[in-house]
Amino acid sequence: MQKYLGIKEWSATLRINHWAVAISIFILIATGFYIADPFTIYKGETVDKFFMGNVRFVHILFGVFLIFLSIWRLYLAVFSRFHADWKDFLAWTDLKGLVQQIKFYLLIKGHPEQKYLYGPVQALVYSGCWGMVVVTLITGVILMGAGYHAGLTSVAYFVLKPVENLLGGLAVVRYIHHIFTWLFILFIVVHIYMAFWYDAVLKQGTVSSMIGGTKFKQIKE
Amino acid sequence: MAKGNNSEYKKMIDQQYKDLMKHCELHMEQIEKDLPEPREDLHEILKDRGFSRRDFIKWTSAMTAALMLPPIFRPLVAKAAENFGRIPVVWLHFAECTGCSEAFLRSSYPNVDTILLETISLEYHETLMAASGYQAEQNLQKAIHDFAGKFICVIEGGLPRGLNGKYLTLGPKGKTGIEVGKEVASKAAAVVCIGACAVNGNIQAAKPNPTDATGVGRALGISTVNIAGCPPNAVNFTGTLLHYIMFGTLPPLDSLGRPVWSYGKRIHDYCERRSHYDASEFVEEWGDKSALKGWCLYKMGCKGPYTYGNCSKVRFNDGVSWPIMAGHGCIGCTEPAFWDTMAPLEKPLDEKTYGGGEKTVDTIGAVLTGAAVAGVAVHAVASAVRHHQSDFFKTAPTSHKDDRTEE
Repeated sequence: MQKYLGIKEWSATLRINHWAVAISIFILIATGFYIADPFTIYKGETVDKFFMGNVRFVHILFGVFLIFLSIWRLYLAVFSRFHADWKDFLAWTDLKGLVQQIKFYLLIKGHPEQKYLYGPVQALVYSGCWGMVVVTLITGVILMGAGYHAGLTSVAYFVLKPVENLLGGLAVVRYIHHIFTWLFILFIVVHIYMAFWYDAVLKQGTVSSMIGGTKFKQIKE
Repeated sequence: MAKGNNSEYKKMIDQQYKDLMKHCELHMEQIEKDLPEPREDLHEILKDRGFSRRDFIKWTSAMTAALMLPPIFRPLVAKAAENFGRIPVVWLHFAECTGCSEAFLRSSYPNVDTILLETISLEYHETLMAASGYQAEQNLQKAIHDFAGKFICVIEGGLPRGLNGKYLTLGPKGKTGIEVGKEVASKAAAVVCIGACAVNGNIQAAKPNPTDATGVGRALGISTVNIAGCPPNAVNFTGTLLHYIMFGTLPPLDSLGRPVWSYGKRIHDYCERRSHYDASEFVEEWGDKSALKGWCLYKMGCKGPYTYGNCSKVRFNDGVSWPIMAGHGCIGCTEPAFWDTMAPLEKPLDEKTYGGGEKTVDTIGAVLTGAAVAGVAVHAVASAVRHHQSDFFKTAPTSHKDDRTEE
């Protein structure tokens, strides 16, 4: 019988945050594609239909959720009582480790020693992903604010108006918003694969660790 | 309590408006003293054109509302319209098609706005003036000398900057557009850019922009009032000038120099087809049943959601129609870098193509996603092969948390 030692890897708050972000992003991608390329609903009277309006409502709702989830995640990265991981996002600054990690991914050399919570490539991609979230949220708030003329949204829009002008108007803002959707899709494909791959090759329970919070390590008798 | 606050608030607002009216009256008296009598009387022209007094009063009401002023300002707007002819205007044409002037002057049903534009004291207008050559040059010099610091410089058309501006030369002395612009703008009370060319260069500035054309503001490095649009609505110009006559200042401008009263809201926000957008009712093809029903033109490339303007409210040709009402989407002509940012004009923005083919961002994205899926599949197979060959994955890594758990 092999014996395993359970090591707590992720705090409950971080896991809740992760899945809330994941659900938000999935909903945002689906609703976002509808807004970009909607299908027509022919049946019924105009007065009874509000599908685009509802889809936009859901999109904006989860977009605002994502703003607060991102702020929460930033807070956890800096102040988490379990493990504040902001330093781990900088694992890619260890360039030697980065090269070793790439060699491991290309199946050339064995797994290098891991100094941080995240591997170097992982840290780079995660940092990039949060950068993508920031860009998408800013462009999203601009696009949302353009249609509202009162409340907090219009204040945010007023603050972000120079960004809109810098980018070259709402049309460009909208285009950037659209491009970044595809970057999220690419991230999701690779992220899910890597989670499964790690789980399969290292047998430490990587996938379930984001649910139960515990990773497992084999102990030699 | 709320009632008390309300009446106090009302008092404050009333006082503000009273002060504003006083300021306006004083300023108008000043104008009447300083500037020459209008060459023609507005009311006589209106009478000649078959406009009754009632039509004029109706127009003042609409204009007062458009300028976001309360109804008590109607007499002042009427007075400002009568004084419209006092303001000296120098109207320059640069790289453009003269379409804006044509649109203002040649409407089949001229309304008060267009007639107002005819009463304007045009000291110099390249399309309309009888003079040519040296005589025209003399008129321009005289105008900017006689009315220095008082005239309004209206510019139609962008400025090519390539070859030191030599892509555009004007007049008998062959001055470049930039030279003329600098000379006139430096002596003007205000520079008003009419049309998308003067605002951001329009089609001349579209890729690949061989003459390096751009808007007047950027080319001359000055701040301008931008009446954007291709062509803009005459109301937006007359309203801005009326505001100047009434208050002596230019109306509040947005961050792109466009008057907020006319370019404060998006086309989409006040579109008459907006309810069809929210109801997911879209025109899918030109002339289909949805088009007959007047459904939303979003999928036909309408750029209304990205465009600021009041076309949906004031419309064109005496309020007869405007592009979306006529069945074609908005092309976004009031926005920065119009043409490049708004292309393709009859397709949604995300169907912009790359490399001359059919490659849109969605096809590129889908191909990359497919490649990523294929890539991870190959990687998975390679990993399995590697696993069978050797104990590549057996050298379990040391987790960064090991130290702590062993304590």
